[in-house]
Amino acid sequence: MNINRMKTSVATAALAAASLTWAAQAQAQDGEKFKIYLSLSYSGNAWQSEAANIVKALAATPPYDTQVELIENISGTDPQAQIAAYESMIDDGADAIISFPISSTALNRTIRRGCDEGVLFFMYDGTVTEDCAYNVSFLSAGFGENTAQALVNELGGKGKIFLSRGVPGNSVDQRHTDGAMSVFSKYPGIEIVAEYYSFWDDRTTQQETAKALAAHPQVDGVWAQAGEYGVIQALLDAGRPLVPMTGENSAGFRRALADPEMQAKGLRGVSSGSGPAQSGYAFKLAMEILTGQRELEPQNIEYPLPWVPAAEVKICEGDSYTDGCNVFPESKVPSSFVSEVLNPVLLPEINVESALNGTPVPGATIQPLPADVVVTANNEPGINCDPCEAAPDLYKLTKVEATVQP
Amino acid sequence: MALAQFEVQTVPAWKTLLIKSTRGAALIVGIYLILYAFYAYQQPRALSASSFASLMNNTAPLALAAAGQALVVISRGFDLSVAGVISICNVTLAVYPLEGPGGALMSALLCMAIGLTVGAVNGVLVAVLRLQSIAATLATMIICQGIALVILKAPGGSVANWIADEMTGRLAGVIPVSGLVVALVIGTWLLLRRSNFGLSLYAIGADEHSAALSGINTRRVRFLTFVIAGAIYGLAGFMLSAQTATGNPTAGTPLLMLSFAAVALGGTSLSGGKGGLFAAVMGAAVLMLLQKVLFSFGISSFYTGMFQGVALICAVVFSGLLTRLGEVK
Amino acid sequence: MTQTPEPTPFTQAGDTRTSAKISRDTISAVSVAVLCVLLLLSARLVSPALGSWTQVETVLVLGFFLVVLSYGQGLVILSGGLDLSLPATITLGGILATSWVGANDPNAWYLLPVVLMICGLVGLMSGIGVVWLKVPPFIMTMAMSIIVASALLGYTNGTPRGAAPTAAVALMKTELLGLPTPVIVLVAFVAMGWLFQSRSIYGRYLYAIGTNLDAARIAGVPVTMMQILPYVISAMCAGFVGIALVGYSSGATLRMGDDYLLPSIAAVVIGGSSILGGRGTNLGTVGGAILLTTLGTIISALGMEFGLRTVIEGSIVLFALLLLREELFQKLRNLWR
Repeated sequence: MNINRMKTSVATAALAAASLTWAAQAQAQDGEKFKIYLSLSYSGNAWQSEAANIVKALAATPPYDTQVELIENISGTDPQAQIAAYESMIDDGADAIISFPISSTALNRTIRRGCDEGVLFFMYDGTVTEDCAYNVSFLSAGFGENTAQALVNELGGKGKIFLSRGVPGNSVDQRHTDGAMSVFSKYPGIEIVAEYYSFWDDRTTQQETAKALAAHPQVDGVWAQAGEYGVIQALLDAGRPLVPMTGENSAGFRRALADPEMQAKGLRGVSSGSGPAQSGYAFKLAMEILTGQRELEPQNIEYPLPWVPAAEVKICEGDSYTDGCNVFPESKVPSSFVSEVLNPVLLPEINVESALNGTPVPGATIQPLPADVVVTANNEPGINCDPCEAAPDLYKLTKVEATVQP
Repeated sequence: MALAQFEVQTVPAWKTLLIKSTRGAALIVGIYLILYAFYAYQQPRALSASSFASLMNNTAPLALAAAGQALVVISRGFDLSVAGVISICNVTLAVYPLEGPGGALMSALLCMAIGLTVGAVNGVLVAVLRLQSIAATLATMIICQGIALVILKAPGGSVANWIADEMTGRLAGVIPVSGLVVALVIGTWLLLRRSNFGLSLYAIGADEHSAALSGINTRRVRFLTFVIAGAIYGLAGFMLSAQTATGNPTAGTPLLMLSFAAVALGGTSLSGGKGGLFAAVMGAAVLMLLQKVLFSFGISSFYTGMFQGVALICAVVFSGLLTRLGEVK
Repeated sequence: MTQTPEPTPFTQAGDTRTSAKISRDTISAVSVAVLCVLLLLSARLVSPALGSWTQVETVLVLGFFLVVLSYGQGLVILSGGLDLSLPATITLGGILATSWVGANDPNAWYLLPVVLMICGLVGLMSGIGVVWLKVPPFIMTMAMSIIVASALLGYTNGTPRGAAPTAAVALMKTELLGLPTPVIVLVAFVAMGWLFQSRSIYGRYLYAIGTNLDAARIAGVPVTMMQILPYVISAMCAGFVGIALVGYSSGATLRMGDDYLLPSIAAVVIGGSSILGGRGTNLGTVGGAILLTTLGTIISALGMEFGLRTVIEGSIVLFALLLLREELFQKLRNLWR
């Protein structure tokens, strides 16, 4: 009797499941849409959600809205979970997977299997060393060395500095720091008095900077990865003057760079680093390949390094970056908002609302990418290829020149 | 467990069935089968040997971590060092790859030795120096994570190809090797459970004081528990390395909380003295399968957490209910 | 504490005497404090700037979060449970404070308490699950954590909005009587916590049910209420920490609570509480939290690679545990007499 009852309930559930599948199939059949998965490793900070939002906004902009079925998946901070997610996507017949990879190497085998089944893999920001995947990333563009040189220039070649790094044990953090050290180590006058990990988070950066300040009250400059706005807050909390510093693209940092009050307190520097716009660029490239508008072999594609020195920061009046403006005012976005999310050349069809909400701009249509847009990235062993030779000029300065000699 | 024989005669047939289903791992196996049926219905590819093997490969590290954790939990302890041991094993295999079947065997032994060592430290701290297990293993976990970061600063290196290919492959095109490794551990446990050690383990977990009074050397058993658990974590690290084929100094961290969830889902009481390794392994399998099922039903990943959380509570409440029903005579 | 029956069949002999118990807890709290001061003084070896009053202030401000959090965790542990839902509850407090209260800043005076109550509701659900549904605390609170985190992800659509309410910023960023406000609030919080845990009837109830639930029930302790209450308080503490955190760094993220779970448990255990319940003082826990924060400050001043720093940090935690071990107090007490 009990078994019968169980059978009945299983049957009911199966029936419900069946009707669900049927509905899904019916939807898939009209229009022959491309099935594209957006695979995030985690969500919850401004960077990740902006990157996801602009892909969602693009997918809802004509003509993509009739061509794409976009399915978002957040697997968590664990490589294994992302492996499992990729496998499910491949089994589900994905045409392309646009993804922020949690590891540069752990996903390789699954990606290989997907490539063999004809799935396009587009990685943004993070990269994988599997060569059948496309990597769209600024990583090879030299964030670490360029910002380090800019800081050295500001400091006139000598002074005590903090390094506010990213996540310990992360290859991106290591690449940035190696690049920066290639510059700092040339200047004996530069003394690194504290080196701490910010986990790319404003709050952690603030707390770690506060600890470092307690131990080393004398600091002349800060080289920071994402989370840089926390450095400013920690200095202000401690009632100290601001110092020259470099950091990434938070709205808080850019607005501070342009703020006369902050400048009077001693803030100078440059905003550079990782931009969520990379996801949109990757998505558009994938779509152009799928729709046959572009032929491109799997390769490492460089996203140009954002570079906004204090003098060039300009606050926007409207909803997008026009007339050379490059940061939104406080009334529009919080300080943690990552400014490098819109790109007038690569992503002219979206605006700040797209980045915040994932909504398309009314009336906008997808603009094709410039024909010669693709820049091949340098080989970086262990980051975007393996095994491979590192480019000989790996840490070449591209945005600044050394104005002071060691 | 020993109560089973007494109850059978006094209750109606359907109740007997219920009671039996609460013994050991029957309940969790049942849940697994039902979930798998849903999954296969939604995703016909689920029944192919390759899909099953990749599911097994995904499951094996967590299953082993949960198996080790279950041992400690049965003895009424917690072991947080699982995360540290797995990380150290993973980076070691990535930094010092040993090729070929011989190399794979050496690597497996090396991993188990790492686990044994950490387990022995835990054992001394908990059994001899009488620190609280959760606190002592928290400290060893932090230390192990540090060691893993010293061995390998950033993700990289590559695990020997033989390990990465063969340990995730299939025997005769059907049987997943990772499944065999897990089966091997379960098999050893089934033998061990009937031994003096196994019986003492349950006795200590149920009531350490009376166990000691009845002549069990509680120190020795506790110490051994941590050591064996450590060795199993080592194997988990080995299987994780086979699956990711690369080193990551923080590889073990995500498995920490999941291992406890798997143990609890398998019906092993966190207050000790009850449960088993097989049930914990099945708990891990259900956790991994649940992800697949939710995915195949197209549930927004924003809300998968809700389903997992509710499923966890329901499973525990349900098995608790069944157990209590079984106890009503 | 004299009427409370304390049958402790599972712990070492000698624990049953009330006077001995109090003195052990006191010793444990005092030794944590001594260890803290020693650590601060020895920090001068690392950097001459350490050990100064400025650094003490920094430690106290940074330690604010962990002290508040581990007080709640300590109550739950005292009653024989464990609260793993802290990270999600912190985030809940932080997200509500920014996206909801931050937008209605003038109404913050009654909205912030409402935020605390919503967080308390999470604790209430955990407590009910533990007591009525008989789900083990470990699982119940872990599941609540997963559920709340997922609900927040859905609610914010992945993007937490808004700025910190002025009141929260004032809490963390102003000075009062020449001291940073958080330090003063911290002292008041600890005093209140101490009154509740060590001087009120409810505190005594908690010790009783943590020691032996059945005995407490027989002795007339309102067990159900007293088992649920710690979860509610703990969740409200976590919500408070969430609000304080956004006041400190003016924005919420969905992972803002993640780093606090293990330290909150460690602080309680280092402070001399038993993870199985029924033993420990809140002063010990406060000491444990301050000790961990001090350690963190000194460790990050070390110019070493992260792995080695982590090894040292773990070793010191282990050392503290060994130093504050049961047997040691037993011996100390024997010398005392």
